[in-house]
Amino acid sequence: MNAIGIQIGWIIFMPILVIIMGLLYLGAARKITARVHNRYGPPIYQNIIDVIKLFSKKRATNHGVMFSLGPIMAFSGLLISLMFIPIGNKALLSFNGDIIVLLYLLVIAPLGMALGVGEGANPMGTIGIARALTLMLGYEVVLVISALSVMLYTGSASFMKIIEAQSGGVGHWFLWPLFLSALAMDMALQGVLGEKPFDQPIAPHEIASGPMVEFGGKYLGLLQLYHAVAIVVETGIMVNLFLGGGTLFWWFVKSFTVFFIALLINAVMPRFRIGQAFKFFWTYPAAISLLGLILVAILK
Amino acid sequence: MSERIETIREFEYFIGPQHPGITGNFSIKLKAKGDIILEAEAHPGYLHRGFEKLMEQRHWVKNVPMVCRICVPDPDPNEVLYAMGVEELAGLEVPERAQWIRVMVLEMSRITAHLFYLGGIAGALGLYTIPQWTIGDRDYVLDRFEELTGARVYHIYTTPGGVRRDLPKGFADRMHKTLDYLEKRLKDYYRLMFDNPVFQKRTIGVGTMDPEWAMENGVTGPNLRGCGVKADVRIDDPYLVYEKIDFEVPTADGCDMFSRAIVRYRELEQSIHIIRQVLDNIPDGPFLNKPGNPMMWRVPPGDVYVRVESSKGEYGYYIVSNGGVKPYRVHVRGPSMTHGIHVIEQLLVGQRVADVSAIMFSLDICPPDIDR
Repeated sequence: MNAIGIQIGWIIFMPILVIIMGLLYLGAARKITARVHNRYGPPIYQNIIDVIKLFSKKRATNHGVMFSLGPIMAFSGLLISLMFIPIGNKALLSFNGDIIVLLYLLVIAPLGMALGVGEGANPMGTIGIARALTLMLGYEVVLVISALSVMLYTGSASFMKIIEAQSGGVGHWFLWPLFLSALAMDMALQGVLGEKPFDQPIAPHEIASGPMVEFGGKYLGLLQLYHAVAIVVETGIMVNLFLGGGTLFWWFVKSFTVFFIALLINAVMPRFRIGQAFKFFWTYPAAISLLGLILVAILK
Repeated sequence: MSERIETIREFEYFIGPQHPGITGNFSIKLKAKGDIILEAEAHPGYLHRGFEKLMEQRHWVKNVPMVCRICVPDPDPNEVLYAMGVEELAGLEVPERAQWIRVMVLEMSRITAHLFYLGGIAGALGLYTIPQWTIGDRDYVLDRFEELTGARVYHIYTTPGGVRRDLPKGFADRMHKTLDYLEKRLKDYYRLMFDNPVFQKRTIGVGTMDPEWAMENGVTGPNLRGCGVKADVRIDDPYLVYEKIDFEVPTADGCDMFSRAIVRYRELEQSIHIIRQVLDNIPDGPFLNKPGNPMMWRVPPGDVYVRVESSKGEYGYYIVSNGGVKPYRVHVRGPSMTHGIHVIEQLLVGQRVADVSAIMFSLDICPPDIDR
């Protein structure tokens, strides 16, 4: 009975924790970018205030049922994928093969966005979504090959077993034996996170923030939450596969470090054209991840 | 059904006037097929304030506070041109010191405008660190402007007959310090921008124009020099004291966005070099030759065309006087008129939607100067 109670408490507590942490990540991102820019930047809790403000707004327009359902579908799809990611050595849903399920679930969120934005029928939103899906086609391959090499190395497709195999200190992290795969995944992660040079879907100067262009008020608040959770989920994959998971505190420290590296690259890079980005993913990171996979297959 | 698909393939796409990737109150309507632009149509007119007409209704000297508003990022060529034109019509002598100060003000204005430009083109490509840096550093030049003229953006400093004020005490030292700082920062910009492989990938070979085509279509200034043509009013038709100053006119052969940006970067270095020479060689003497009571001052009948090299290209004023206390007609020849309407409409065809804003920023279009 007690165990079930803890489980239920964790189900309620974890998404809230992740949302708050994700919003703080975004706030820290604004602060760090501001320091690179030679300015002060907003306080670290600014994004939490923004979300509260956005949710207190009235709905101005609605373009149809899918327009409302799209962001909800995206957000809930993301929350479900969150259930599969062990945070602090604790996953809500864990079974043999959860990595594969997660890789499928990660696609639901962009598709939900695509449906919602499509109903909005703004050409800029449509271009943004087309770019997001093209980009996804680019980085998914690298992501899957890198995850595959980890699965091959441990002989398991479960996050918990992979974390267990890495227990015992920094020296046991898969970052070291599977360095090439980790490198390729970090490159792909830049695209997954939507940081420059891979922020084509929202490029403000080109398509005026793309998918977000028709969403306002509560929808925009929901998209902010979506973005916040997405960062934790996406960096979480890297932390669990290559950096050995860890207790709640260390898990978030590692996850933020991964995000921090992406941020620093983001601060000094312009964005690729979408074709160039796609080509980039299918050349260097894909080659590196394939090489990593081959090495694992040979050495194993 | 097939008809419907046909209409979906080609879509209309509006950039501006409410768009982050536009240089002010301006709009471009695009017709695109997929990602390729078939047709571009420039829509100016959101900023029309009727300067040319307003100038006919004010006394000669009273126009000075207004002309600088024609171009926001680079206001001083307007002031200097108007003053030069009126002086030529009235036969008013300008003290030599004032001419040197005018050169310095023009070059300072060029620095502020080019810093804006570098921020603009880098921002259009997503490199947001550069705009934050350049616009922050531009403020140090504005500090010097404030010290010299009392104002930061619209200086209202050059009047017919000279300049309004002399250099303040210790100005040269502080200006040298600012220039030292800027020179140090320029290296950072170069490393972050022009050495950046992604920036090179986005700009080299994009938005190219043929040098001959450019000359036929009235492209001037750094945009023409980015096509490898060494054309500069400061050399071709020297005004003020540019003949006594040693400087180079940088060119680049790429004819693309990268060349246009690097030409501006090199010009920043040259402007700093020019200002240093002005500070070192400026002669003593009076700085203003007052034209008399501004309400009664009459300029003899006649017409004149004067031109200077602004940060955007050749800037010209055609002033007609009928001997009255007010101008009969003032026509402004702004470089953005050609760059922002005719050139961009043709340059955008065949380009990708992603490059529209960057190409526009690379031409350095100033919408208020189109709509004067």
